[in-house]
Amino acid sequence: MPQFFLNKRLIVLLVSIMFLVALIGFSLKDRQNLTWPEQFIKDTTGFVQFIFHKPAQFVAGFFENVNDIKHTYKQNKILKERLEEYAVLEAQVQELEKENARLREFLDKKESLRDFEPIQATVVGRNPDRWQELVIVNKGERHGVAKGMAVITPSRALVGKVQHVSPFTATIQLLSASDQKNRISAFVQGEENAFGLIEGYDEKRKALLLRRIPFDAKIKKKQKVLTSGLGGVFPKGLVIGEVLEVEPDEYGLTQMAYVKPYANVYDIDDVIIAKRKIDYPVEKGEETE
Amino acid sequence: MKKLVLPFLVVLFFVSESIVVDLWPKNEFYEKYIFVPRFLLITIVFITVYVTRFYGIVYGFVFGLLYDVFYTEILGVYMFIFALIAYLTSKAMRVFYNNVLVTSFLSIVAVSMVEFYVYGIYLLIGKTDMPFEIFLYNRLLPTIFLNTIFVILVSYPLTQQLIKLPIREREDEDYLL
Repeated sequence: MPQFFLNKRLIVLLVSIMFLVALIGFSLKDRQNLTWPEQFIKDTTGFVQFIFHKPAQFVAGFFENVNDIKHTYKQNKILKERLEEYAVLEAQVQELEKENARLREFLDKKESLRDFEPIQATVVGRNPDRWQELVIVNKGERHGVAKGMAVITPSRALVGKVQHVSPFTATIQLLSASDQKNRISAFVQGEENAFGLIEGYDEKRKALLLRRIPFDAKIKKKQKVLTSGLGGVFPKGLVIGEVLEVEPDEYGLTQMAYVKPYANVYDIDDVIIAKRKIDYPVEKGEETE
Repeated sequence: MKKLVLPFLVVLFFVSESIVVDLWPKNEFYEKYIFVPRFLLITIVFITVYVTRFYGIVYGFVFGLLYDVFYTEILGVYMFIFALIAYLTSKAMRVFYNNVLVTSFLSIVAVSMVEFYVYGIYLLIGKTDMPFEIFLYNRLLPTIFLNTIFVILVSYPLTQQLIKLPIREREDEDYLL
């Protein structure tokens, strides 16, 4: 027995395993903020990553462009057909937006859950071990980013959510991360909106799971799914995807829909972080006035 | 100036992992097969063999910590295994004959060990629910394939660089463990 304790290597190994378990436990705790040494390391590493990443992205972008040019003719043909459709839609949207603004003024309600301030950001790093789909971008607390904010592509489709922030970088959890904690309040657009929660990602079907939809809601394929803006810091009305399939949930009390995301949930270079203009729920005093 | 060669090399491989994953075309292949670049780990194995064990363990520890903080946000996982791999490599080198081929083989063994270890931990803490078969065919084999190609390309130039480094005490030092 005493020999066992004299074995230096074994002691070192045991102590480091204990240290490892403690550290893992610490980082799994549902924490709001990273500790300051972590933030410091993140910022400095983020800066170094940025230096290497920019030229690499540039070179890769060049080859991608060459590849794109090959398919231009075919694409152009298809797009031309859709252009007319688009013009009509655009005119309609403008008209509706104007009307909406006028009615809002009429009601004296200037802010809405839909309004957000876009923060442009570039990807500087990506988790190479791919157990969790995490991406690091070059905007952080100093630029107004906060935990839980929605992250969208330049074409306004939802791709993820801010997991942690440090002063100059932010970590984004992509929608493809199969994390049950990654909940987003959403609704299915229809004659009557059906609300639910996005919980997790099905890798086999490549679809998001929209759970807890009321059992009597009638949902059809191809209906659009948008964020509802009810669950905290997400703005309302960001498009997520369209319904692929509906089935009853595990216990049959609610329904579950498979949602095919519009954005490619793996491929992102430049993103926009949506900072909602209404930050906090309206206080009670104001409401009764 | 020459003292900066080693840190620069390691930083380069550290960053290149993320760049490879980020710039890889995101097609069906990418979504189905998970290939993880473990360039940093391979470099640490080579440092352990061709520089010293002490350097290997220290670099493994420091860059493992960076990896944890910057990429995965679960502290300790890579910090522990990178240092341990450096230690085990030095033990293994006492048995094997010192040769580029042997080192390359050892680094591939290290890559698969790390994959198994991280899979185990993530299963334990509930971060993944990947079945073992999928892990084996869609993750482990592509990863080994990618890293083998990397080792074939890099082992010779990397060895040359490491041998040239101006570090004198290359003898086996027993003061550390």
